Amino acid sequence: MGYVSNVKKTFKLKYCFNYIGVAAFLVLMIILSSTGVLSRSAVNLLPKIAYSIILAVSLNLVVGFLGELSLGHAGFMCVGAYLGSYFSIFLHNYIDNSLVCFLISLVVGGLLAAVFGFIIGLPALRLKGDYLAIVTLAFGEIVRNVFKNLSFFGGAMGLKTDKIKLQSSTLYIVAFILVLVVLFLIQNLIRSKHGRAITAIRDNEIAAKAMGINVTYYKLFVFVISAFFAGVAGVIYGHYYTPILYSAFDYNYSIEILVMVVIGGIGSISGSIIAATVITYINFMLQNNLSGDLAAVRLLVYAIILIAIVIFNNAPALKPIKDKLNFKNLSAKLFKKKESTIVDDDVAWNRIESKIRMDELLSIDVKKQDGEFSDPDKPTKEGK
Amino acid sequence: MSILLDGLSLGAVYALIALGYTMVYGIAKMLNFAHGDVIMVGAYAIYSTMALNTNPFIAMAVAIVVCTVMGIVIEKFAYKPLRGASPLAVLITAIGVSNLLQGIAQLIYGSTSIAFTVANFKTVHILGSEISVGTILTLVVGAIIMIGLTLFVKKTRTGRAMLAVSEDSGAARLMGVNVDKIIMLTFAIGSALAAFASLFYIIRIPSVTPTLGAMPGIKAFTAAVIGGIGSIPGAMLGGILLGMIEQICKHNPTIEAYTTAIEFCLLIVILLVKPVGLLGKRRREKV
Amino acid sequence: MKNFKKVIGVLLTLAIVVTCFAACGGNTGKTTGDKIVVGGTGPLTGDASQYGISVQQGAQLAIDEINAAGGMNGIQLEFIMKDDKALAAETATAYDQLMDAGMQISIGSTTTGSCEAFAAKAVEDNLFFITPSASAASVIEGRKNGFRVCFGDPDQGVLAADTLVNDYKMKNIGCIYDTSDTYSTGVYDAFKAEMDKLGVSFTTKTFDAENKKDFSTQVEALKDCDVIFTPIYYTEAGLIARACAAKGVNALIFGCDGLDSVAGQIDSSVTNEIKYITPFDVESTNENISKFVASYKAKYNKAPDQFAADAYDAVYVIYNAMLKANITDANISASELCDKVAAVLTGGMEFAGTTGTMTWNADGAPNKVPTIVTVKK
Repeated sequence: MGYVSNVKKTFKLKYCFNYIGVAAFLVLMIILSSTGVLSRSAVNLLPKIAYSIILAVSLNLVVGFLGELSLGHAGFMCVGAYLGSYFSIFLHNYIDNSLVCFLISLVVGGLLAAVFGFIIGLPALRLKGDYLAIVTLAFGEIVRNVFKNLSFFGGAMGLKTDKIKLQSSTLYIVAFILVLVVLFLIQNLIRSKHGRAITAIRDNEIAAKAMGINVTYYKLFVFVISAFFAGVAGVIYGHYYTPILYSAFDYNYSIEILVMVVIGGIGSISGSIIAATVITYINFMLQNNLSGDLAAVRLLVYAIILIAIVIFNNAPALKPIKDKLNFKNLSAKLFKKKESTIVDDDVAWNRIESKIRMDELLSIDVKKQDGEFSDPDKPTKEGK
Repeated sequence: MSILLDGLSLGAVYALIALGYTMVYGIAKMLNFAHGDVIMVGAYAIYSTMALNTNPFIAMAVAIVVCTVMGIVIEKFAYKPLRGASPLAVLITAIGVSNLLQGIAQLIYGSTSIAFTVANFKTVHILGSEISVGTILTLVVGAIIMIGLTLFVKKTRTGRAMLAVSEDSGAARLMGVNVDKIIMLTFAIGSALAAFASLFYIIRIPSVTPTLGAMPGIKAFTAAVIGGIGSIPGAMLGGILLGMIEQICKHNPTIEAYTTAIEFCLLIVILLVKPVGLLGKRRREKV
Repeated sequence: MKNFKKVIGVLLTLAIVVTCFAACGGNTGKTTGDKIVVGGTGPLTGDASQYGISVQQGAQLAIDEINAAGGMNGIQLEFIMKDDKALAAETATAYDQLMDAGMQISIGSTTTGSCEAFAAKAVEDNLFFITPSASAASVIEGRKNGFRVCFGDPDQGVLAADTLVNDYKMKNIGCIYDTSDTYSTGVYDAFKAEMDKLGVSFTTKTFDAENKKDFSTQVEALKDCDVIFTPIYYTEAGLIARACAAKGVNALIFGCDGLDSVAGQIDSSVTNEIKYITPFDVESTNENISKFVASYKAKYNKAPDQFAADAYDAVYVIYNAMLKANITDANISASELCDKVAAVLTGGMEFAGTTGTMTWNADGAPNKVPTIVTVKK
C-alpha cells in the first residue's frame, strides 16, 4: 500500500512525459497500421522496439542508478525466453487462448529470470566495477552454454515456438502496453525512497552505508528487478520469433543493449527509450539497405557512429564545442534570452537529478510515522 | 602428460593476451575490449606477408610492427580524447573500435576463413608422448617474453615509471613522469605481445577469420581477472590456469560440452573467494 | 518552460520516427511490375558467411543466365538476398523486408536454424521455398510449401554408418561433431542410431561454436582410430585434417556433403585420405557441372562449392517448375504461384542439375543418388 500512496504523493505532470510519449507512439502506430501506410516489415519491427525499450530501461536501472556495470543482460533475457516459452508451450495444452498463455508466462519467465538475478546478484555484493562486469559477462556465457546442451530445450536446433507464436499485429500492442507498465513500475521505484537509497549507493557507497542504508539489500534488489524485466523481454521475444536459439543471446547482444543505455544517456529513462527505438530502427535500415556485398559495411557504419557519438559526448576537449551546439543554448539565443550556464559535471553519472536530503535518507529504515514526516522540508530531530 | 603440455602452451597464448589487458588496465585504468581484435590484425598481417614472402620470421617482424602501430593509433584517436571521461564511455568506445577493426578486415579480406600454415612442425617424443614442436616453441618463447617483461618492468627506468603510473598517476606526473608517453608505450608493448599471441594462435589454429580475436580475447580477459587485473604475474598465472583447465575439460567426455561454462564458473568461484583475483592487490577505499 | 521544451523535443523525435516509418512504408509493394522477385536469406557477415555468400553467388549466376537467355516465358527474374547472420530473429526481419520488396518465390535460408524461422513465416503466407542447404528434416516436414535440394541429415547419417561398417569393414571408428550446429547434430544422431542398430561401438568427441578452431585434443583422443567420421562443414574438417597431420594421425577422414571443397582447406602436410558423400563433384566431367563450374569461375574467379551448386540448382528448379506450370503473369501472387509450382514438383517433375538428377516426394525432400568422392593431396 505504501507504494500506491507514494505514487499519489509524488504525482506530477512532468513525470508523465515518458508515458505520453510511448502512448502517443503506440496510438500513432495503430492508426498508421490500420490505414495500411505501414509496411509489413515496419509493423513486425514494433515488437522488437518494444522489448528493446524494456531491456534498455531495465539495464539502465543497474548501470545508471545503481552504478554497476552489467554485461550479462542478454543472459537474463535468454533465461526468460527459454523458460518462459517452455512454460507457455506447456500451458498451451490446458489453455487454448495464446494471449492468456502469453500473459501468464510473462510473469513466470520474469520470475525465473529474477531467481537467476538473485544468484548472480550475490557475488555482486562482494565485487565492484570491472570485476562485477566480467562476472556478469561470464554468467551470460554460462547460460548460453548450458541451454545449448540441454536436449529438452531443443539443443542446437533451438526451442520451437510455432505453437504459441502471436501475430505481430496483436503482439506489438500488448508489448507496448507492457512497456508502459514497466515504465510505470521503474519510474516510481526510482522516485520512491528506495530509489533515492539506490542513487545514494551509486554516488557514495560508504557514505550511504554510514547513513544506515542496507547496501546489500538494495544491490540485490536492483539486480533482481532488472533481471525480472529482462526475463519479461525474453518472453516477448519467445512469442515473437521461432525458434529460440541460444546463439542470439551472446555478449555482443548484451553490449548492444548497453550501447542503447549509454547513447541515450546513463541514468536517463527517456534517453534509453529514444535510443532503444532509434538504434533498433537504424539496425533495421542498415540490414534493409546494405544487403549483398555491402553487408560488411553495416558493421563499419555502426562502429563509426558509436565511436563518434561517445567521443563527442564525453571528450573533455570537445566540451566548448558541445556547449555551443547545446540545444538549450541555441534555443536561448533564438529567443534572445540570457544564455543559460550549464552546470555540468565531468562525470556522466551526475546527469540525473538526485538531491539526496538527510531526512529522506534517514526515513528509509525508520518505521513510517504519520504526521511527523509529513513536511520533509522541516527536518526533525527524530532521525537516529 | 601431453594434455598438460598442450594446456601449458594454450595457457601461454592466453597469458600473452592477458598481459596486454592487464598492463593497459593497470596503467590507463580502462578495459581495452579491442585487444582481441589486435590479435586478429596480427594474424592477417602474418598471412598477408607470408603470401608475398615465405619466411615466417619476416612475417613475424611485420606483424609486430603493424600491431604496435595499430595499438598506438587506437590509443591516440579513440582513447586519448576520452582521458578523464567516465570509464563506461571508454569501454563503449573500445567496443566500437573492436567492431571497426572486424568490419575493416571483413571488407579487405572477406568474411570467409582463409586456411594457411605458418610452418610445418614435426612431432617429437618426450616421456612417451607425442608433442608438436609448435607447442614447445610456444611454451619457450612465451616464457622468455614473460621473463623479459618482468625484468623490463622491475629493472629499467621506464618500467619503474610504468609501475609508478599504475600506482598513482597523479603523483607520478608530479615526479616528472610523462604519463601520456607511458600510456602510449603500454599500448605499444601490449600490442606487440598480441602480435606474438597471434603467431602462436595461428600455429595452433591454421586459419584466419575477421572474428578470430573475439573468443581468445574474452578468455584472456577472464584469465587476467582470475589472476587479479593489473598484476603482471597474475595475468601469467591466470592464463596458464585457464589453458590447463580448458584442455583437461576437453579431454573428459562427460563435461567437454560444458567447457566454456566450467571456465566461467571457475572465474565466479575464484572471485567469490578472493574478490580481487588471485594475485590482485586490495585497495582500501577512502571516503 | 523546461517541460515545454522537453515536450517539444519528444514531439520532434516522434515526428522523425513516424516520417521514417512512413518512408519505409512508401516503398511497399513491388517496384518492378514486369519481374518475378526471387528472395533468399543467408549469413553474409559473421562466422558462417562463406556459406551464405556461396549461395548468393550461385543463385545470382543462375538468375543472370536465365535473364540473359530471355527470362522465364519472357519474364525477367530478380534475385534479392538479405543478410540474416544465421540468427532466427534477423531472418524474421529479413523475411519481412523481402515480402515488402515483393518476393513471390524464394530459395529459403542457407542455414538450418534460420530456415526454420523462414519456413515458420513462409507457411503463413503460403510462399514457396526450396532451400539449397538447410538439411534438417524438420524444416520442410509438414510444410507443403517447403522443398529442399540437398540431402537430409538423417539419410546421410544412416548412409555413412552403412558405408563405414558394411562396405569399408572399419573396426575402430571415431567421430567428431559440432554440438552447436544443427546440421552436424542431425547427421550424428542418425549415425549413432544406425550404429547402435548395427551393433558397432565407436568413440565420439565433440566441439562447439566457441571452441571450433582447436582440434588438437579431439584428434589426440582419436589417434588410434582407422577412420574419423566428421559430419561437419569443410572449414573445420580442414582444420581436423591438419591437426591429424600435426599429430601424425593417419586415419581416413570420412564426412558428408558439408565436407565439399575441403580440398581448398588442406595443404601438402596432410597425408590422410579424405572421403565424403556428396551429390556434387567439382572435378566431374558431367556436362551440366563443367558448364556451371566454368561460368562460376569466369564470374567470381574461384571454384564453386556445394552451397553454390545447390543454390544454382534451386534457382533452376524454380525456373523449370514455373515454365512447366506455364506462368505468364509477372504479377502473380506468392500464394497462387506456390500452389502451382508445388503441384509441379510433387507431381513428379524430374530435374537434372549440377547436384544430380532428382525428383521430390510429398514432403518436399529430394530423391537423388549420392556419390563418394575421394580427396588426396
